[in-house]
Amino acid sequence: MATAVVAEHVTKRYGDHPALDDVSLSVDTGAVFALVGPNGAGKTTLVRTLTGTTPFQSGTVTVLGSTPGRLDKDRIGLLPQAFTPPERLTPRELLEYYGGLYDAARDVDDVLADVGLETSADTWYERLSGGQQRRACVGLTLLNEPELLFLDEPTTGIDPVGRQDLWSLVASLAEGGTTVFLTTHDMDEAHTLADVVGLLDGGHLVETGTPDDLIEAYGGGSSLRVELDGAAAEELALDLDRPYERHGADLVFDGVAATAVGDVVRGLEAEGVAYESLTWSEPSLEDAYLNLTRNGPAPRGAVDGDGLDANAVPTAGRSS
Amino acid sequence: MSVVSRVEAESLAEYRSFVRRRTTVFFTFVFPLILVTIFGAIVQTNPTGGGIFGQPTGFYVPGYLAIVVLFTPLSRIGSSIARYRDGHRFEKLATTPLRRVEWLAAHTLVNVGIILVSSAIVLGVLELLTGGSITLSPLLLPFLVLGVVLFCGLGALIGRLADSQDGVIAASNAIALPLVFLSETFVTSNLLPSWFRPVVDLSPLTYFARGVREATYLHQPAGFNLLVLAVLAVAFFALGTYALPQGE
Repeated sequence: MATAVVAEHVTKRYGDHPALDDVSLSVDTGAVFALVGPNGAGKTTLVRTLTGTTPFQSGTVTVLGSTPGRLDKDRIGLLPQAFTPPERLTPRELLEYYGGLYDAARDVDDVLADVGLETSADTWYERLSGGQQRRACVGLTLLNEPELLFLDEPTTGIDPVGRQDLWSLVASLAEGGTTVFLTTHDMDEAHTLADVVGLLDGGHLVETGTPDDLIEAYGGGSSLRVELDGAAAEELALDLDRPYERHGADLVFDGVAATAVGDVVRGLEAEGVAYESLTWSEPSLEDAYLNLTRNGPAPRGAVDGDGLDANAVPTAGRSS
Repeated sequence: MSVVSRVEAESLAEYRSFVRRRTTVFFTFVFPLILVTIFGAIVQTNPTGGGIFGQPTGFYVPGYLAIVVLFTPLSRIGSSIARYRDGHRFEKLATTPLRRVEWLAAHTLVNVGIILVSSAIVLGVLELLTGGSITLSPLLLPFLVLGVVLFCGLGALIGRLADSQDGVIAASNAIALPLVFLSETFVTSNLLPSWFRPVVDLSPLTYFARGVREATYLHQPAGFNLLVLAVLAVAFFALGTYALPQGE
C-alpha cells in the first residue's frame, strides 16, 4: 500500500529542549492516524515538521512523495492547533477567502453543508459557538479536497455534541479516501477515529499500532470492582479462590473476563459477602498509554520485543 | 491569474476585517485630522513671522501627508502580523498556495486605499480651513502610493521583531515620531543642528516630504526624490516580505 507520510529519525530541538527525539513513523494512504499524548508531548511540533511549517535538525520527512518544503499545497489541508481566522468574517466569507487562495476550490455551499453550518453561514465567526467555530475551521481545510488532512487537536474546547459532529465528519472524510493525521489527548477520540494510533511522550514515539492491539499488548486485563455493603467490609476476611486487592471498601479482581463475572459473584455469595454494586471494565487506550509511559514499553501481551510492528518503521494502515 | 485571485482574496478579507472594526476605522481617519487641526492652529498663529512654524500653510502639506503615510501603514501592518501570528494564521497560510509577497501585496493594497481616502480627507479639510490655498499635483498619487509601500515594508519588519500587538504599537510610535520631526516635514533642516543634517538624509520620509513639497509648493521637478522613494519602497517591501513569518 502507498504511504502518504514517512518520517525517519526526525529530531527537532528548541534550543536545548528536545521537542522530537528520533521519531520514525509512516502513514498509509487512506488511513486515519491519531497521534496521542499529553500537552507538551511534541504532537504539534511533529505536525509542523510534517507540514513544513517548522524546520527540524535531523532526519527525513516525505509527505505525498515530496519533502515538506516542496509539497504541492493543493494536496494537503491543515487545521493548526488554536487556529483563529479573522473573527469578523462569516463562515461563508471565510470559505470564500481561503477558497480564493486555491486555483480550484469546492463550492462554498457544499462545504457549509459538510460542516453543518448552513444556518449560521452569515453570522460573524466571533458570534458562533465554540463547536460552530471549530467546524468552520475544519471547513477551511476541506476547500481544496485535500488528499492528506492534518488536524491538530480539532476537538479541543468544544462540547460533546460538537465533538460528535466532528467525529462524524472525520469518519466520512476517511470513508471518502482522505488520509487523516490528527492529534489529540482524548483517548476515546483516538480509539473511535483512528486505524492506527501513535503514542507520543516527551518527544519520543513510544509505540504505534491499532487501538485494539495497543490495548491488548499494554492495557492490562479487564477487572471487576466490587463495592461491599456496609462498615463490616473493613473487617471481612475472605477465602476466595481468585486473587484480589482491597481498595478501601472495594475489592478489585484483575484479569476477570466478562464470562467469568458470574463465577466471582457466586464465590462472594458462597462466602456470605453482601455487596452494593459490581463494576466490570475493559482496559482502555488510556491504560495502555499510562502503562507505556509510566512503566516503559515492556509489552504485557504476546508481541515481539520491538513492539507491535516487526518493521523498524511503525506503519499506520487502515484495518480491513 | 491565480496570483491576482490570491491577492484579491487576501485583500478582500483584510478590507472586510478593517471596515468591521468601527473603532479602528474611526481613529484611522480621525487621528490625522486631529494632528492637522493642532498643527494648523499652531501654524496659523504666525504664518510668516518666523519661528519654528513660520512658513505658509502650503509648506506643511507634506508634513500632514507624511503623518498619514507613515503612522497608519506602520502600525496596521505590524498589528496585522502580530494578530496573524497569535491566531496561527501564518501557519495555516503556509500550507496554502499564498506566498509571502502576495500576502504583503494584498495588505499593502488595502493600506493604499485607506491612505488615499485619508489623504483626501486631510487635503479637503486643509482646503476648507485655508480658503483654497493648497496646490495639488498629479505626482501626489505616486508619492503617496510609494510611501505606503515603503512603510508597509517597514511595518512588516516591526511586526516580525515585536512579539505582541502592544510591542508593535510601542515600536511603531518610537520609530514614527522621531521620523515625523526629523524628515523636513514640519521643521526645516536649517533649524536643526548642522551635525544632525546627515541623519535627515537617512530618513526615507525625507524624500517623501521633499518630493511632495517640490510638487505642490515649490513647483519644481520632483523626479529625483520620486526615484529615491521608489528604490527605497522596493527595498523595504522586499525586506518586509523576507521578514514575514513562514510558518509557526
